[in-house]
Amino acid sequence: MINLLNRRTALHAALALGIATLILPASAQEKFPSRPVELVVPTPAGGGTDITMRLLAEIAETGLGQKVVVINKPGGAGTVGVAAVTEAKPDGYMLGAVYNAPLTMLPHIQAVPYASDAYIPVSLSNSAPLVFCAKPDYPAKDAKEFIEHLKKNPGKVTYGGDGVGGTVHLSGERIFSVLGAKARLIPFQSAGETLQNFLGGHVEIYGGSFPPILAHLREGRMKCLLVTSADRHFIAPDVMGTKDLGLPNAGTTVWAGLIAPKGTPADRIAILEKAFGDAARTPRYKEAMEKLGTRAEGSSAADFRKLLDQESAAMKEVVAALGLQRK
Amino acid sequence: METIDFVMQGFAVALRPENLLFGFVGCLWGTIVGVIPGLGPLTGLTLLLPLTFKLDPTTAIIMLSGIFYGAMYGGSTTSILVRIPGEAASIITCMDGYAMARDGRAGPALMIAAIGSFVGGTASVIGLMLFAPPLADLMLQVGPSAEFGLMLLALLILSFVSQGSPVKTAVMVLIGLAIATIGLDPLTAYPRFTFGSVRLADGINFVAMALGLFGVSEILLNLEEITKVHVIRPTLRSLTPRWKDLKDSAPAIGRGTVIGFVFGFIPGISHVVSTFVSYAVEKRLSNEPEKFGTGKIEGVAGPETANNATTGSAMIPLLVLGIPAIPATSILLSALLIHGVQPGPQIVRDHPDVFWGLIASMYIGNIMLLILNLPLVGLFVNLLRVPYAYLAPGVLLVSVVGIYSVNANTTEIAIMAVFGVIGYVLRKASFDPAPLLLAIVLGDRMEISLRRALMISDGDWWILVQGAMSKIFLGALLLLLVLQGSTWLLGFRRKNAAEIDKI
Repeated sequence: MINLLNRRTALHAALALGIATLILPASAQEKFPSRPVELVVPTPAGGGTDITMRLLAEIAETGLGQKVVVINKPGGAGTVGVAAVTEAKPDGYMLGAVYNAPLTMLPHIQAVPYASDAYIPVSLSNSAPLVFCAKPDYPAKDAKEFIEHLKKNPGKVTYGGDGVGGTVHLSGERIFSVLGAKARLIPFQSAGETLQNFLGGHVEIYGGSFPPILAHLREGRMKCLLVTSADRHFIAPDVMGTKDLGLPNAGTTVWAGLIAPKGTPADRIAILEKAFGDAARTPRYKEAMEKLGTRAEGSSAADFRKLLDQESAAMKEVVAALGLQRK
Repeated sequence: METIDFVMQGFAVALRPENLLFGFVGCLWGTIVGVIPGLGPLTGLTLLLPLTFKLDPTTAIIMLSGIFYGAMYGGSTTSILVRIPGEAASIITCMDGYAMARDGRAGPALMIAAIGSFVGGTASVIGLMLFAPPLADLMLQVGPSAEFGLMLLALLILSFVSQGSPVKTAVMVLIGLAIATIGLDPLTAYPRFTFGSVRLADGINFVAMALGLFGVSEILLNLEEITKVHVIRPTLRSLTPRWKDLKDSAPAIGRGTVIGFVFGFIPGISHVVSTFVSYAVEKRLSNEPEKFGTGKIEGVAGPETANNATTGSAMIPLLVLGIPAIPATSILLSALLIHGVQPGPQIVRDHPDVFWGLIASMYIGNIMLLILNLPLVGLFVNLLRVPYAYLAPGVLLVSVVGIYSVNANTTEIAIMAVFGVIGYVLRKASFDPAPLLLAIVLGDRMEISLRRALMISDGDWWILVQGAMSKIFLGALLLLLVLQGSTWLLGFRRKNAAEIDKI
């Protein structure tokens, strides 16, 4: 009897197992994501984008119910990482965490190994303006006087920023060129290097992000003249943005957002958009971003698309005005 | 007196159990990434950075800095054992360290490297503690034009490094300078000599190239003498340095400390350049410079001290100005910012716990690392019992994994292989690859600083001799040239070496 019972149990178990193996693959296909999602960051580990997106990835794991694995693919000023995303299988398991330059700026200046329609936006995660600052004794106290000073001394004032055709250069010129102001860019490789040369008096104006200068700002070693965004920034609300200069459409922020390869199914994009958008709106992410001087966004894919299109069109003009356009 | 109070307060912070524990974890992890070729402090820091998000800021920074200076301890291991540089700062250690190992003196080489690292590391923390603010101000005076002068000076000092004939050295330097221009133009991101390939856009990866030129070429050379199997059997007595070793190393360690600390101010490449300069100086001052490369212990002691001495000075711009001068400290900066600690002039006032706790932890960490590394010497030396035919390919395999894991880029593995063959050919034709590597490191910064200086002056070359710092560097350069010229003319090179020391 005992033997029989055992045999019956065994039979049931075998049956159950058989049915289970029949059903499981089907349900696994329904559910997305069913395995870890890879997030390609096109900067070296430890860079600004890397840190904000690693944190976002960690928070988004809760919403996705899967691990998010961050892979750094630096190189080619960000193009290597973006290329890797556009060449990936469009199944939603490979995303890119990108920033302005390789999408809206570089393609106007040089050949890049991807077309502008080879990727689709998922969600914008964070953004912050760049800022132009001077020593306390500089003969201008706000953005308007700064522009006037540049106009009176065309091509004389030196400002430090990232490379020629880089984000500081283009977002600055987007404002200067419209107003007829001319300044000379001295390119540095990092905001830290720019700051060092600014504090040492080797360039007159600091051009770059807020975080490196916060301590010096509080100490009164420098004063900020202009932020590159349309609106003012929460870190220094007394510093004018482009709206204050009468240019509501000339604002640029440095942002980080997620893209997927073209052809990724819309329902999967929606799942990713929600998970990463929600993650960006959590208090934990907002707080961490504020400490880094950045605004947490968590926008929709549609809003991100709009930003990409507008910025790319504007940068195309700026690049042409500077004579940097791709031959 | 006030400082002493602060230091005591710092030790109270650093000696808290959790800070001791995480400090030790950082040092241990740093040693591990230092030992593994291809992986350096940068990778080590990035991997553990997310872990620190939930820690107290002081604990976090103590652990992360431990990784940073701990990596400088481990780097020499594979350089000495198999001539495969554990990281960029230990390339020059391959020369005499490996020669010592072949002589059966791997133990003393590793021990001296650990002791030098300890002295250099500790001395640089003292420098950081006492002189941070004035040194930070001095650093700001070095603009692009002065940096160019400093690079010229370094290039001249480094021309003493080479083993080979002056003509062959010049050829290597020129090829190195040419290779340095491959990749995106550092100022305009315009691709140069990339033949339209994105893979070459970032230039030739320096670590991959060094691994190829030194490590792979050595393995290829050894293939020829496969019949001559030499197994080195270390005994306990051969592990410890002899009295003569210590006596020879002491001045080199002293000079390495100063050189490392001073060159720690060069942005980006300080840890590499300081080791080369230290080696060059030791060779120049030695009574038997011809023996360098054949297992002189000064050639290990000086550079291994110098690369640790850069760690303290690299922290100065980070803590006092909030400026990361090298990639590793930029990760430390991010970690501080995430915890709401803004490094800068007010860090001592606003976050005394973090600042003094960190400094105290660096003293403790260096002691921990010494205690950790000395017993490891026995373990590592015993690795040499493994026949070369297994050991070297094993380390090579680890290097390939290490290189790939940093940037997930197969091109870098190819670079390593190609430069392995190039290194083999060069060494067959008795060209020394060291000046080539050096020219690449310096060439990049030289080009950038010169072009920047000229952009600032709008094309006026006189900017290169203006400013106090430019004058100092160029003055030293002239003095060296005059001394070198006169010694050649008068034909007593060796005696005058002491005078160069006075500069």
